[in-house]
Amino acid sequence: MLEVQNLTKIYPNGTVALTDVSFSVEAGEFLGIIGLSGSGKSTLLRCINRLVEPTSGRILWNGVDITAADQAGLRVIRREIGMIFQHFNLVRRSSVVTNVLSGRLGYTPPAWSLVNRFSREDRAKASRALERVGIPDKALHRADALSGGQQQRVGIARALMQDPKMILADEPVASLDPVLAHSILGTLERLNQEDGITVLCSLHFLDLVQRYATRVIGLRDGRVVFEGDSEDIRQINDERFKEIYGEEARRLGGQEGRV
Amino acid sequence: MTDRSPTTPPPRSWVHGLLSFVVPGSGQISARQPIRGIAILLSFLGLAALAAWTVAQRSRTPDVLLSARLFGVIFAQALALLLFLAALRYVVARFAKGEPASALWGLILAAAYIASLLLVQDQLLAAAGAPADLDQIYGGTALFAAGALTAFLLWNVADAALLGAHPDARPSFAAGILYVCLVIFVLGWNLTEIDVQKAVAEYRDTQIILRRIVWPWRAAFEYEQVTIESSARIQAPCPPGATGPEVNQPVPGVPWISVTPTCGDISLRDLAAGKLIFGTELTITGGGYPPGSEVDLLWKNPIGNAFKPRGGVGDTEITIDENGEFVSTLYIPEVAIPSTAVGDQIHTIIIRQESGEIFTGRLSPSIKLALTGMLETIMIGLMATFFGVIAAFPISFFAARNLMAPIKSPLTGVVGGLVGLALALVLTFWATGRVSVSLGGLAAAPIQVAGFGLALLLVSAYFGWNSGAALATRLGKTLPPAVTRGLTALEVAALAGAAGYLLGVWFSRGVVSIPLAGPVPSFLEQRYAFGGAALFGLAGFLYGYRNALKEFSLGLTIYSTTRTLMNIVRSIEPLIWAIIGTIWIGLGPFAGTIALTLHTIASLGKLYSEAIESIEPGPLEALQATGANRLQTIVYAVIPQIVPSCISFTIYRWDINVRMSTIIGAVGGGGIGFILIQWIRLFQYDNVGLAVWLITLTVATLDYVSSSIRERFI
Repeated sequence: MLEVQNLTKIYPNGTVALTDVSFSVEAGEFLGIIGLSGSGKSTLLRCINRLVEPTSGRILWNGVDITAADQAGLRVIRREIGMIFQHFNLVRRSSVVTNVLSGRLGYTPPAWSLVNRFSREDRAKASRALERVGIPDKALHRADALSGGQQQRVGIARALMQDPKMILADEPVASLDPVLAHSILGTLERLNQEDGITVLCSLHFLDLVQRYATRVIGLRDGRVVFEGDSEDIRQINDERFKEIYGEEARRLGGQEGRV
Repeated sequence: MTDRSPTTPPPRSWVHGLLSFVVPGSGQISARQPIRGIAILLSFLGLAALAAWTVAQRSRTPDVLLSARLFGVIFAQALALLLFLAALRYVVARFAKGEPASALWGLILAAAYIASLLLVQDQLLAAAGAPADLDQIYGGTALFAAGALTAFLLWNVADAALLGAHPDARPSFAAGILYVCLVIFVLGWNLTEIDVQKAVAEYRDTQIILRRIVWPWRAAFEYEQVTIESSARIQAPCPPGATGPEVNQPVPGVPWISVTPTCGDISLRDLAAGKLIFGTELTITGGGYPPGSEVDLLWKNPIGNAFKPRGGVGDTEITIDENGEFVSTLYIPEVAIPSTAVGDQIHTIIIRQESGEIFTGRLSPSIKLALTGMLETIMIGLMATFFGVIAAFPISFFAARNLMAPIKSPLTGVVGGLVGLALALVLTFWATGRVSVSLGGLAAAPIQVAGFGLALLLVSAYFGWNSGAALATRLGKTLPPAVTRGLTALEVAALAGAAGYLLGVWFSRGVVSIPLAGPVPSFLEQRYAFGGAALFGLAGFLYGYRNALKEFSLGLTIYSTTRTLMNIVRSIEPLIWAIIGTIWIGLGPFAGTIALTLHTIASLGKLYSEAIESIEPGPLEALQATGANRLQTIVYAVIPQIVPSCISFTIYRWDINVRMSTIIGAVGGGGIGFILIQWIRLFQYDNVGLAVWLITLTVATLDYVSSSIRERFI
């Protein structure tokens, strides 16, 4: 479904974020991406929908090269790929339903959005999406009136509006407490299993990766240093751990440690 | 410090000090702090030159050499004085306290220095030059500038000595900057012509005007005079047989007068004796006037001119008794009756009383004018803000770095678009010209022609750019890269060449012509134009060839162009724009509106674009990720974030615009300022006061309202 080939990203200031990254994702997978801060997780996810322009390499999306797409082509590809963020990236002053509806913009004729107009179907779809993520009663609240967990649910609902085939989740639970983290990842897992949406999720906590991911890749200094399924993660020993996280890293409280 | 070879022993600290004494800053340079040394040297030279220049320019017969020489002498004397005091301090410190310098001693020295400058001021100046010279060069200013400069020089010596003794020290620059500021202060005092003595002595002059401006409210109302008047008729001269008009009879309850006889002779002037020969004596009785009041007596001659009779013929100011009656006598005054006069000559005696001003409760024309002007001013501010917002809002997106920086496009497409745009512009001008001719010229149908031109411009620019860019991009994909490269380079060369041609023409007309007597000869203009075209064309070709296949930062180019234009428009004061507006449209509020609108577009554009630049980037990123295009991300992610600050800025700007339009009126931009400046020039300070009050009240109200509205949005 998604094939990343020899992806390299060098930022204009010379920072090498990704070096020769290659992997592929099958439809329906829940791929966990682990690595230290600065290991290139966010850059990798953003290269996939070209929020960040890759320096070289190819990314094939159902056989189409994303890196070669023009603006119109990119728009079509992007609307099939939802994205959720660590800081939710909601428009704080807009209502929840407006935030959710804005997920539909890729399907809306641009001129219509100038006058703030969405079709009746889109509005119905938005309330279904909010129901789906468990906050149907918050539709008319301002986004910044919601708690962190609720805001992330709005983020997921916005992604759902795209009818996504894949969701990119960039540290979706890093700003939330552990209980909320499980609830958000549980929602993503449900979407993954019930709707068959492929999920690419970067995570900090090893136990969360073990619990939710069906497959894992580990990044270190922009290179893939680990690849395996959730069983492999369970088998991970200190030596392997250091390979991923670097010499100075140390586990906190066994395998559940946060690095 | 680095090692030194034994052959060059390190200069001792006093050597650095001495160096700095001779050439300021050189000691610091020799103590290996060259930047500090150069800064000191440049400051010293700059200040000395500035002081000499100021003194020369302010004197009545500017003579830079004379003033520089005198300034130098005064400087040397001030230096000697300061050195003497420093030596004194050293001695005192040594013997009295036996300890090195302290801050207190520094302060005492500074105080003693200034005190002695004041004390020996006259002697110093007298020693410096002839009194006539001093009169010309503003001796006091030169003295104090030289004094401060001297202190700076000695500080520089001490600094160099300290650096020499402690090479790694980083002593503070504060004292040096203080002395520099002192020199500038002295010169500033002179140049702004500060005169404390005058300010104190002539303060009372303001009272007369200030009282009227501070409380002008009598001028806001209309006052009336009530006149009580009664008259009687007399015939003079009295030809034989004439009886004169009838004698008036008293009328109860109404002011009346009665004169007897009603026919008599006019007083005549005896030119030889220089005195008046009195005519007939009249007895005037009257009643019905306010008891105890004063009345005026007027004589009206047969052709209707009234005057107060002179020459001691009788009282012209009469006091009414407690019953409201009076009796007075009057000789018929000297009245010239031409010999050609025909018929009875009937004169009239008038007894008139004018009341003081009586309050009517009606508003005066002045306050009505001021109120109208104020309303006009508020509306100028409002309209300018309205038009400004309409224009500034879209422009501000082009001036927001965070939105524009990511916009990049291959040079091929950009150049293609530019060529399309250029063709569209040519087409627009041509077509508009044709339409204008068919409608009978721009003056005959300005709205139609301008509207047509603007609409055509927008449409053709849009299509020109888009189709040019699309065509070039498509060609770029189908043609071999080398051909694309060559074509792009040629296009860039053509565009740059056209720009170079225009620049050449401008350069020849604007710069080359300056030293010439007349306009630039056309062969020379052609030479510059084609030279410019060739130069720019070649540069364009090279640039295009090198970068044809690369991405061009289109967004940043638009961003910097917009910003530059806005900065230029903003840095020109609305007052200047108003002058341009009055030349354009003529005097009146429309000119002021245009001036403020231009300035508002530029400053609101900047404020809005800064609001856009400070938005959270997250939502923008999130919407891009959903496949929203640029317009949609702006509507859904940018605008909701900037609305509060934009509202706040807009209200703030309206506030400023109303305040500015009062000033703009003064140069012909309409509104209350226009009226105010006329009243000032007519010395009508009561009316000036009314206008000032209205402006103050309006601005204060607006200030309060705008700040309380803005508080809700922040």
